Amino acid sequence: MFRAGATIWRSLAVVAVIGVASPALGHHSFAMFDTGTQVTLAGVVTAFEWTNPHAYIEMDVPDGRGVKHWTIELGSTSILMRGGWKFNTLKRGDKVTAVVNPLRSGEPGSLLSRITLPDGRVLGNGGPPPATSTPPADTTKKP
Amino acid sequence: MSTTRTTGAALILTTGLVLLLETLSRGQSPARPGFDGAWAPFTGGRGANAALAPPPAGPLVLKAEYAKRYQAQRAADAEATKRGEPPPSAAVSCIPYGMPRMMSVASYPVEILQTPGQVTIITEAFSEVRRVYLNQPQLPIDDVPPGYYGHSVGRWENDTLIIDTVGIKESVPGYQNMPHSSQMRITERIRLVAPDVLHDQLTIEDPVVLEKPVTYTLAYRKLADYKMVEFVCENNREYIDEQGKVRLRLGGK
Repeated sequence: MFRAGATIWRSLAVVAVIGVASPALGHHSFAMFDTGTQVTLAGVVTAFEWTNPHAYIEMDVPDGRGVKHWTIELGSTSILMRGGWKFNTLKRGDKVTAVVNPLRSGEPGSLLSRITLPDGRVLGNGGPPPATSTPPADTTKKP
Repeated sequence: MSTTRTTGAALILTTGLVLLLETLSRGQSPARPGFDGAWAPFTGGRGANAALAPPPAGPLVLKAEYAKRYQAQRAADAEATKRGEPPPSAAVSCIPYGMPRMMSVASYPVEILQTPGQVTIITEAFSEVRRVYLNQPQLPIDDVPPGYYGHSVGRWENDTLIIDTVGIKESVPGYQNMPHSSQMRITERIRLVAPDVLHDQLTIEDPVVLEKPVTYTLAYRKLADYKMVEFVCENNREYIDEQGKVRLRLGGK
């Protein structure tokens, strides 16, 4: 049973960071997540939902007293694909380590910052805007 | 023999003229090269040519009776965001943006398609679709069923596509979340400012809400060989609770 409060964080690595870049997700404000705090979750994926407006990772995380279930929100599938994600990047049973921004409410929900996949690759929460046809400094024609 | 040839030629000529007149009467005009395809929002920066970035927006001036409430709402939203409580919005509930907000949703591309008599704009975020009917008269506002995209007519003025849109439902969020009335009119002037940069200058008029029209410009960069990604809002875990706060529905095992 989940209890809100400071104790939940004791067994987790909580690292305050400065100047975390907001993911360019666009669906809504991310104010419900504490983007000034990072929590490291090492555990097992129980579901990977490749959906819009957001993809989700559900995972079980051992916390020293048992197993806590966490929900991790990702960007939309379009933005994740730009960052190297595929619909089958994760599957149930995968062991991963995710660095997340937790919900301010204290509930076990979060926003992905980055994740280390079973094969050692590290992915973030999406990528930059899609590559354009020419370098950004193109000055071939005046407006 | 000669009479037969003359008759045949006259028939071909007449058929050609009929087809040409039919085409013109349908409001068809030749597609402009360079507009078709996917375009990503472009705001300049990162060493980009500043001249291709969108110019600054004009001032948003609401009539006094709307300005006070609008400013108060903006301040309340900013405060709520600071407290970690994102302001509830239609987007949280996965309701599409509609015009004009759909034209600039984060870094999501838009796709422009030209077919005879019509320009179609499809956005990646929420898969919204606008249909712009070329060379047709605009309908009176009161004849357009209020909706998210309204009724759009367009015409080419040299290299610029001018689009006139009316009939946007009052509940559809406005530019900068401004309130708007059923009398809102959006005029867009879309043109290439470089072979791979498109500008859409939008002017919003609303005789009920605005003291004067507001004009702003959106810029886009051409995407090479981009395939638009589907976006169906099938798994929206965010919701607005009884207190009006945005919450995240958490999953189980």
